[in-house]
Amino acid sequence: MTIGLAHYLAVAAILFTIGVFGIFVNRKNVIVILMSIEMILLSVNINFVAFSAYLHNIQGQIIALFVLTVAAAEAAVGLAILVTFFRNRGDIAVDDASMMKG
Amino acid sequence: MPLTAIAFYLLAIVTVVSGFMVITARNPVHSVLYLILCFFSGAGLFVLLGAEFLAMLLVVVYVGAVAVLFLFVVMMLDVDFARLREGYAQYLPLGLVVAAVLLGEMVTVSSAVANRGAAAANATPQAADLHVSNTQSIGQVLYTDYIYFFQAAGIVLLIAMIGAIVLTLRHKPSVRRQKIHEQVGRRRRDAVEVTKVGVGEGISE
Amino acid sequence: MNAFLLQYLPIVIFFAIATVLGLGFMIAAAVMAPSAPDAEKNSAYECGFNAFDDARMKFDVRFYLVSILFIIFDLEVAFLFPWAVSLFGMPHDKMVYAFVSMMVFLGVLTVGFIYEWKKGALEWE
Repeated sequence: MTIGLAHYLAVAAILFTIGVFGIFVNRKNVIVILMSIEMILLSVNINFVAFSAYLHNIQGQIIALFVLTVAAAEAAVGLAILVTFFRNRGDIAVDDASMMKG
Repeated sequence: MPLTAIAFYLLAIVTVVSGFMVITARNPVHSVLYLILCFFSGAGLFVLLGAEFLAMLLVVVYVGAVAVLFLFVVMMLDVDFARLREGYAQYLPLGLVVAAVLLGEMVTVSSAVANRGAAAANATPQAADLHVSNTQSIGQVLYTDYIYFFQAAGIVLLIAMIGAIVLTLRHKPSVRRQKIHEQVGRRRRDAVEVTKVGVGEGISE
Repeated sequence: MNAFLLQYLPIVIFFAIATVLGLGFMIAAAVMAPSAPDAEKNSAYECGFNAFDDARMKFDVRFYLVSILFIIFDLEVAFLFPWAVSLFGMPHDKMVYAFVSMMVFLGVLTVGFIYEWKKGALEWE
């Protein structure tokens, strides 16, 4: 039994689905939503790296590197917004965040 | 190569199960720890694919920094997490339907892509350039062929840095800060004044 | 491919031994240690008082700012590794190009570094 491209794509697809599912069920908890987004980006990276390895082309890994950079920056700024939101509201329930000018 | 297959299935199962635990764990600290496990086994999958540099980067950046950041935020915010789980059951059916549709679509597309064309011809994962290491083959193109992406990554990091400082940095006005150059550069005439005071007179400011 | 993966065998063995040892001690402790818990034994000990509040305490936000800045510079260093490994293997004109490219990248991030220094984000008041 050899492990082919399809195996890695399946893992990435399942992880992506779990991430989307996590966003749906944890509608109020921003921290878990941010973690779900990180998992979605990880699954995208698995896709890029799998194609890169099976097509013998380094390009996929370069793009995965940039996805990683953007994901880390996104986590940093997202959590900074979360901290500021908590400081202004005393809570992080996002369904209260429907009005502007907090 | 059965050893590779065993390693793949082990890492894939750990990745998927810990990913599932991230979104279902009751305690958010446990969620963060499962996220760390998920990224760690994802890095293992990258090693299996020969992408060593990205695997190590995943461990260093995600396990070492991003997960710690999440842990900080979970510990820092004094939130009633039980209340945030309200509505979990309410959105569950919709979430399951969307997830099932999405998974079905992606499995269809990926199996079609994987069975057709290039992947079938090259059934083994292999480095792009066999003569140099993975890190080296990334470095050979990253700074020249992908210079715009690279500089854009620098700008993204700069913006993230400035954004985080602007959003979270608050100086307390009550705290007196050191101003080293002023303190060191202080002369006697700035601090002490010698005046002659006559008998029966005071000093007016 | 297999020869490449065999280089990782020591790490796999290390992880296996670590897992077996860790689980072994935990299971051994659960099986062999005498255990007769009651409510008083399981409650938190706080110098004879009842515990005042939760053991989890709020962190200061400044820790968070430091760890964000750590991530940014972590990624900056991560971009330096392939550069350092591959720079001298390139042909000369490409090497100059890659060198200038990295210097611009570092310059951009130095602007951010100067900003945070001037803002006092690195000071612990």
